Amino acid sequence: MSYSAAKNSQMQKKLRQEAKALLEQGKVDCIIGYEPGSLKHATTPLITKDKAATERLVINPFIVNNLSNFLPYTKGRIGIVAKGCDSRSIVSLIQDNKVKREDLFILGVPCSGLIDVSKVEALVGKYRDEIDDISRQGDIITVKVGAAKKEFSLSQVMFDNCLACELPTPAEYDVLLGEPTSPIGAAAESAGKLDELKAMTAAQRWAFWQNEFRRCTRCYACRNVCPACYCKRCFVDETEPQWLAPMPQEPDNLMFQIIRNLHVSGRCTDCGECERTCPVNIPLRALTRDMYDIVDELFEFKSGMDTKTQPLLTAYEVDEAEDLVK
Amino acid sequence: MADSKKVRKEDLAGLLTEWSRDYAVLAPSRADGVARMAAWDGEDISFLDWYRNTINPVKSLFLPPVEEMFSISRNERGHRIELPPKDDTGCLVFGVRPCDARSLILLDVVFEDAYEDPYYLDRRRRSIVVGLCCTNPCDSCFCTSVDSGPAATAGMDIMFTDIGDNLLVEGISRKGKELVAGNATLAKATRTDENRARKIRLAAEKKITRKIDTGDSKERLLAVFEDESFWQQVSAKCVSCGVCTLLCPTCYCFDINDAMTGGEGSRCRSLDSCAFSSYTKMPMENPRADKWRRVRNKLCHKYEFYPMLFDNIACTGCGRCIRLCPVNWDITQVLDSLPAKHESKI
Ligand code: SF4
Ligand code: SF4
Ligand code: SF4
Ligand code: SF4
Repeated sequence: MSYSAAKNSQMQKKLRQEAKALLEQGKVDCIIGYEPGSLKHATTPLITKDKAATERLVINPFIVNNLSNFLPYTKGRIGIVAKGCDSRSIVSLIQDNKVKREDLFILGVPCSGLIDVSKVEALVGKYRDEIDDISRQGDIITVKVGAAKKEFSLSQVMFDNCLACELPTPAEYDVLLGEPTSPIGAAAESAGKLDELKAMTAAQRWAFWQNEFRRCTRCYACRNVCPACYCKRCFVDETEPQWLAPMPQEPDNLMFQIIRNLHVSGRCTDCGECERTCPVNIPLRALTRDMYDIVDELFEFKSGMDTKTQPLLTAYEVDEAEDLVK
Repeated sequence: MADSKKVRKEDLAGLLTEWSRDYAVLAPSRADGVARMAAWDGEDISFLDWYRNTINPVKSLFLPPVEEMFSISRNERGHRIELPPKDDTGCLVFGVRPCDARSLILLDVVFEDAYEDPYYLDRRRRSIVVGLCCTNPCDSCFCTSVDSGPAATAGMDIMFTDIGDNLLVEGISRKGKELVAGNATLAKATRTDENRARKIRLAAEKKITRKIDTGDSKERLLAVFEDESFWQQVSAKCVSCGVCTLLCPTCYCFDINDAMTGGEGSRCRSLDSCAFSSYTKMPMENPRADKWRRVRNKLCHKYEFYPMLFDNIACTGCGRCIRLCPVNWDITQVLDSLPAKHESKI
């Protein structure tokens, strides 16, 4: 099904009705969705018990946050808006006993991909707030700055993880808000950081990452927005013993990220949130997606695709990945 | 604008080169893909076209994300403690925006208050802050609501304003005035130049549409302090990362850690954040285990506690916390939503 603004607003209408009814009928205690953000071309999470607030819920190509991240910290029964990638994180959280399926009402959004505003900024040479309009019709994105108008293809402006997304329509949901969508399948067309890095020698790659992580602030936004990072006590906060220096310095910054990446392997759904939120633009997805592919290659496993497949780290077969340890 | 000077844009690199003889010159750069102050490379002034503000605030030059306080080594008689080698180089930071320049005034007070912090103050004494008037503020900027504005000069030694082919140059502090007065590259500005600057500044100020009433925010925060349900609601979407504090130009909390191997190493201090659940975990438990208490602290520190102590709002309206927050938590919306004093329960 090709994208159209009209279909999108139908979905949004349906979402508002469903969410309101859920609260009115007492089927859920709160709704987690998106509302317009305070910046242009942006949305912000809406977590509410107020049925009037459901009028503010939106669905558009800027609903970036992976809302499943809030589930382990939210009490009661929850109505949650979920795109494909978010639904995979939800499934993973259910399997990890972080949230109970019966406490959730999943409002599934068949997703057509999200627009990466920083890509648009780079393409038109303007900042987010200088861009008047970004709209999508079918597979064309139209950007307006003053009187000027430019058109772009999906592979130019969608998030890298959306171009590579394998499950845009949630497999796990209680109500699907629109007709199922199919993957964009244009990962190969975007010059992602990962390909660039794979073409390097190991020494070059090491130098690249050391340089990138020099500017890491240790703000832990990457960890705190990640649904797979739900540990109450993160190894990096441990003081006895202290695994890593708690200061923003090398090599601890890179070590932190490498360990985090190992910890979320088999649970990372390539939602792209860690990379999107890094305030100093470290291309974190080049690490997490590589791990995602390695997990798939070695164990034929992709997390959160369905509730039936056992989570990677709880399943073991005697003959699996014989060549893993050489 | 009396005694203002000007320099042609094509002569700016020459001027910075001149200053490089006496100072380590820093200027906006995006060499690694992120806008930040970096050692000026001796030629690039393209920032005049793209630069709005840096991701890391100017505080990071004076209160760096991490620094060594002293080193610890072992000898026959025990341990030896040594201060880092003294650095006497002057530093000239070119292109500091008015909000960031103002943040330095707010930080100075803190680092001079109960005791004098030699690390911070030494760097401050050795520095020249050359400001750059904002001509293209962001939609997240709200400096005009906190006693500042795109052309405010507080905290600057010199201010530059882009007036087209030229930059208008004004000495602000005594140090700055001296530096400007004796400089042969600078020409005297005409009345037309000054008028043009005035117009540009007015236009910039008009572009700032994000406005909040901070007149009684201190009292309103005080009144709503105990209202847990208000703070629960306000903090619901915050993910407790360090973005809005570590990158805030006025947040100054730090942590101190020893980096030791085999009894040798150094004592370091690094920025900390009250948004972290592990904050103050070293000496004790975090007294603000609940997220809503941490969010409350961040806001109250800037708009209630600091104003009580130093009679000034500890927020410069730079808008970084709005632009960079992973969930678009917006400090101006929250301040706006504070109940009026009489509506509060207490
Ligand atoms: S989000 Fe970026 S800067 Fe922050 S801790 Fe993660 S990698 Fe470092
Ligand atoms: S590691 Fe990054 S991409 Fe993977 S689930 Fe976490 S936030 Fe999403
Ligand atoms: S940047 Fe946003 S999410 Fe992070 S601590 Fe601040 S308000 Fe919370
Ligand atoms: S609180 Fe936000 S707007 Fe205020 S100075 Fe800090 S980062 Fe800037």
